[in-house]
Amino acid sequence: ETDNCSKMLRYRCSGCIAVGKSLNSRNFSKLLHCCPYQCDRHKVIVEAEDRYKSELRKSLICNKKILLTPRRRHQLSSES
Amino acid sequence: MFQGQRGWFCGSVSHDLRQYWVAEGGTISDPRVADFLFSCDASHPDTLRIYQSLDYIEDNATVFHACYLSAVANAEIKNSVALGHFILPPASLQKEIRRKIGSFIWEQDQHFLIEKHFIR
Ligand SMILES: [Zn+2]
Repeated sequence: ETDNCSKMLRYRCSGCIAVGKSLNSRNFSKLLHCCPYQCDRHKVIVEAEDRYKSELRKSLICNKKILLTPRRRHQLSSES
Repeated sequence: MFQGQRGWFCGSVSHDLRQYWVAEGGTISDPRVADFLFSCDASHPDTLRIYQSLDYIEDNATVFHACYLSAVANAEIKNSVALGHFILPPASLQKEIRRKIGSFIWEQDQHFLIEKHFIR
């Protein structure tokens, strides 16, 4: 635990040291992605969240494709 | 401390923490327009909706654990608390993250945190 803490203090990335009003839920992820020296903690979290996001993106595209198969498209156009 | 900031609170966040936010000048808002997204439970349906939103996918919505607010309340210098230590990732990722880096800051003892990490 103590080792972990001293490590954290030594390798502080912008995600660790950034404080103040300008930081919020809207810009935090971009700040981390732009940080050239992510600490171990932030690196692991960013990588995991990025993977989650890309899987979600894939499934969204998949859903759209299902929606736009010819038969479904035909149905949609006749409905409107 | 939170003057002019809009905050969204998941149903999992206690009344006390919301009250603190308002007492410090923050307002409570819709998740679409909030500057801050706070939750105490990544698997709560309110928070799950954030994780499934386009804002989240496009890196425009970081969820923070609401104990950031209690850390601010307890800190001697209010704006010395690093928001970045309170990221709340989706529940399905937490086990894997914990295996790699140990427990999350928000799972550790509050007093210890404030003394060791947040006073700069
Ligand atoms: Zn960091």
